[in-house]
Amino acid sequence: MADPIIHIEKVYKYFGRVQALRGVSLDIAHGEVVVIVGPSGSGKSTLLRCINRLETYEKGSITVDGIPLDGNRNINAVRREVGMVFQSFNLFSHLTVMDNLMLAQRVVRNRSKEEARQTAIGLLNKVGIPDKADNKPAQLSGGQQQRVAIARALAMNPEVMLFDEPTSALDPEMIKEVLEVMLALAREGMTMVVVSHEMGFTRAAAKRVIFMDEGQILEEAPPDILFNSPKHERTKQFLSKILSH
Amino acid sequence: MGRFMSAPDKPTLPEEELDHIPGSEPSTRMDAWWWLVALVVGFIALLLIFKPDPFWNILQFVQDGIVITVTVTLISFVLMLGIGMIGGLGRLSTNRVIYTISTLYVELVRGIPLLVQLIAWYFAVPVIIQYMGKATGSPALEGFQADPIVLAVIGLVFCYGAYMSEIYRAGIQSIPKGQMEAARSLGMTYFQAMRHVVLPQAFRVILPPIGNEFIALLKDSSLVSVVAVADLTRRGREYSSMHFNPIEVWLLVALLYLVMTLFSARVVNWIEKKTRFER
Repeated sequence: MADPIIHIEKVYKYFGRVQALRGVSLDIAHGEVVVIVGPSGSGKSTLLRCINRLETYEKGSITVDGIPLDGNRNINAVRREVGMVFQSFNLFSHLTVMDNLMLAQRVVRNRSKEEARQTAIGLLNKVGIPDKADNKPAQLSGGQQQRVAIARALAMNPEVMLFDEPTSALDPEMIKEVLEVMLALAREGMTMVVVSHEMGFTRAAAKRVIFMDEGQILEEAPPDILFNSPKHERTKQFLSKILSH
Repeated sequence: MGRFMSAPDKPTLPEEELDHIPGSEPSTRMDAWWWLVALVVGFIALLLIFKPDPFWNILQFVQDGIVITVTVTLISFVLMLGIGMIGGLGRLSTNRVIYTISTLYVELVRGIPLLVQLIAWYFAVPVIIQYMGKATGSPALEGFQADPIVLAVIGLVFCYGAYMSEIYRAGIQSIPKGQMEAARSLGMTYFQAMRHVVLPQAFRVILPPIGNEFIALLKDSSLVSVVAVADLTRRGREYSSMHFNPIEVWLLVALLYLVMTLFSARVVNWIEKKTRFER
């Protein structure tokens, strides 16, 4: 890989005595969509959260867009370039949708009110809920909240978007509307790292699927290869459980 | 049941009604407990009208004490909101030094009676400063004279700031961790995230306990009467010892405190309703 936007090298992480990550190395190219799958506790969310330093790690190094993740200054610089979408949406519950989208633009990017508002309106149109700008998050459905959360992250013009099980907290009928937004984003060439077991999205958008187990990357391949002919026994076991239904 | 009977004053758009969440609307009805405030005010008015001697005379005499009580309470309250925020953030700090200092402050101050603290501030601290003046040969410090009101406010703020710190800490901790994480992952610094995301939400959570602290402070401000501050309590005692009518004096002083605390409780209740929000 010529010039990866995310470079993860031999990262180790412990939660007390539990090893969450055991020497994970991974390169992700500009515009690549990577989906991470694996059983719960395999370290996939932890790895994702290490990329924008929501989790610290004990050993190894991560570089994002040429900025090494060390020191507070660099961490904030990386976070400005990396958007994050959470399983539980985490919209700012005291603010309207519009203010959710404008806050970081104003505070972090120092944009004018008007510029921030225009960006927000454009993104709400993009995620398909322009009419909810003045609502509070609690007045929105889960699917709408997650689309606002995506728009909020996009408002910062990130180079990379991280998705931590974005549809796991959603009712089945709301999953589709979120995946459609993500799919559109992937088609636009956004670099995306997604922790998810949504097979439809993975097949349609992912260039690579990464299978993690017990804090390690066991195997990685394009989706059709990994899903149809996995190499490891552990991968086969896991896939048989999630692909059967 | 009143909520279902009374229609909202403002005409609402159909769109708003669709998104309407029951109980989320600010109540436009008068809080029923205002009648209790009115009752006490009415009772005081009756005493003043039908027994101007001694009640009107007492009121005339203690009125500057009421001003002092209210002023000391309000100034102390504003200052302790600030001290409490600093203390609360310190209690949550990952910096060991900051955490230890703020925890020591909270634990020590909470363990000493407020009255003892006020007396120490008024009688001991000026002497310490005068000693220090002597030791360093500074005439300004040596001749240090304490302003009772300033030291009383410092004493109240120092003590209540500790209680306030714990309220802030609990309020901040009650906000889901995801709020801070979302703010930080948008590139905000810790303090930006605190200021724009966590504290505004925590503030709504801690409003009821803060209101309670305000009322407790209003009552505890009567303790400053022992350290030469001419507040409502002290003025009452002065009048009573001059005219030997303790029953009337302390009845009126108690009623005056009651009006202030009941009124404050209603205001707190009103603010709470206004700022209520849905998660």
